[in-house]
Amino acid sequence: MKRYPHWPIHLALIAVSFVMLVPFYWVLKTSVSGENIFSYPPNIIPRDPNPFYYVDVWYAIPFARFFLNSIVVSAMTVVANVVLNAMAGYSLTHQFFGKNLVMMLFLSCMMIPFQATIIPAYLITGKLGLLDSYLGLALPMFSTIICIFVFKASFDAVPRSLIDAAKIDGLSEWKIIWKVMMPLAKSAMATNVILSFIWSWNNFMWPLIATRSSDMQTLPLGLARFMSYQEDSTGALYAFCIMVLAPSILLFLLAQKEFVQGLTSGATKG
Amino acid sequence: MTSWYQRKRTRELALVACFLAPALAIFFLYRLLPLGWNVLLSFEAWSPLKPAVFIGWDNYEEMFFDDAVFWQALWNTLLIIASAPIGIMIALGLALLVNSDIKGRDTYRTMIFLSYPLMTVAVAIIWRWMFDERVGLINYVARMLDLVDKPIPFLNSFTWALPSVIAANIWQMLGFYMIIILTGLQNIPGNLYEAAEIDGAKPVHRFFRITLPLLKPSIFLCFVIGMLNSVTSFDLVYVMTGGGPGRATEILVTYIYKLGFSQTRFDYAAAVTVVFFLLLLTVTWTANRLSGGDAGAVERG
Repeated sequence: MKRYPHWPIHLALIAVSFVMLVPFYWVLKTSVSGENIFSYPPNIIPRDPNPFYYVDVWYAIPFARFFLNSIVVSAMTVVANVVLNAMAGYSLTHQFFGKNLVMMLFLSCMMIPFQATIIPAYLITGKLGLLDSYLGLALPMFSTIICIFVFKASFDAVPRSLIDAAKIDGLSEWKIIWKVMMPLAKSAMATNVILSFIWSWNNFMWPLIATRSSDMQTLPLGLARFMSYQEDSTGALYAFCIMVLAPSILLFLLAQKEFVQGLTSGATKG
Repeated sequence: MTSWYQRKRTRELALVACFLAPALAIFFLYRLLPLGWNVLLSFEAWSPLKPAVFIGWDNYEEMFFDDAVFWQALWNTLLIIASAPIGIMIALGLALLVNSDIKGRDTYRTMIFLSYPLMTVAVAIIWRWMFDERVGLINYVARMLDLVDKPIPFLNSFTWALPSVIAANIWQMLGFYMIIILTGLQNIPGNLYEAAEIDGAKPVHRFFRITLPLLKPSIFLCFVIGMLNSVTSFDLVYVMTGGGPGRATEILVTYIYKLGFSQTRFDYAAAVTVVFFLLLLTVTWTANRLSGGDAGAVERG
């Protein structure tokens, strides 16, 4: 099939990758040098790199507190997601009365973006007394419909004969779930962990609405607020950007396969 | 024997019910209940301090006849929806390139996809700065290449603010579109191409007669998800421009937020939300019909 030259393709892809990566490089460069916030024209290579701005961020804002809040909320979201979605996905592999209704319900809920429910969601969370609490921040994201279908697909793929064999060996329903189903759904679980972590880690609008005290703010909120009173005048803002982006970039590079699999299978096949 | 079977069946059903209940409860609490409440609230005059009064269509009348900001936000939202195909077309080109048998294609894929999982607030800060009038990289490059004689204040100009936000949004969504289209490409059976080649079809024909028709579901899926994603990209607009200058980048989501949480007009915000939701539903439904009912086809699983 090699009848066309490869270099034009490489050229085009390198150009696009360049556009995709330059913003990262620029931010990274400024976060270690603080230059071309004031200087013009900018230097391409950082001159005299130093970690000054990272230290600055650490002392200028309660970074550790924001980080802790983000971690706690994301951890709650991830655990709840894996447990609830696996349970719901497993139950959807059974036949029962009203199954079609439940499927319909899930599918139509997918069409309701969270942003279109914020006013009542705020009021409901207020009524539950959960505003400004970790649980209140995490609760609306406790289950994800796409991930329920990812789990369902992976449970459906477990061969019937394997389950029957386990039943003949006298395993109870619970044992079958723990010893047979869950180990075979490992990749669905990984997908679920990554998707829910990244969604919760990046979430901005809900924490903005549901938190009152600065003690409960998560990283995206801290970042937006930091920007509003720093007004682009310091490399610290970009150091902060790097500090919040690093965990998700790292996780993405480590688990890229599961992440992409989750997005595509959840979105195209389910 | 039957009673044993029945008991087992009952136990199975109980298990199913218990397993489904928590997820259903979450969706009831944060999807269905809000939807209903929203509709109810949109017909009331209500604030946290005074009791609700039923006022019929008053909120809607105000919105449609006395609220220029609503129309501006609706228009901007429509423009963002209309811009989704630009990103999808670029992504289609990229997917075709990445799908060839060149060296290092996985690396290209990773680099292009990298922007998607990032925190949008940080992306917005980065792009706000790229577009900056004095020290932004884009103005610097444009001046270096003599494209402009004086720097453009992208985010402070009524003409440029919305296109700039849209560009940042496309930058972030590009990798996602590419991945979805790539999956669609890889699902096209290779023997179709072989058969076409034997029949003497030119590459252009192969693209328009095989690739594009078979990619239709993927492309519409991109459109639906991309549209939902961009129209609800509250964080991008909020951080990059805050809806300004004036109302030049106000979209429905930011307007709803401001109505509800800066002006405490929950009732009116709910009415705008209802319109917003109906808009999304209409666009999704239309896209679904156009694609032959396969976009977002999770039910085929």
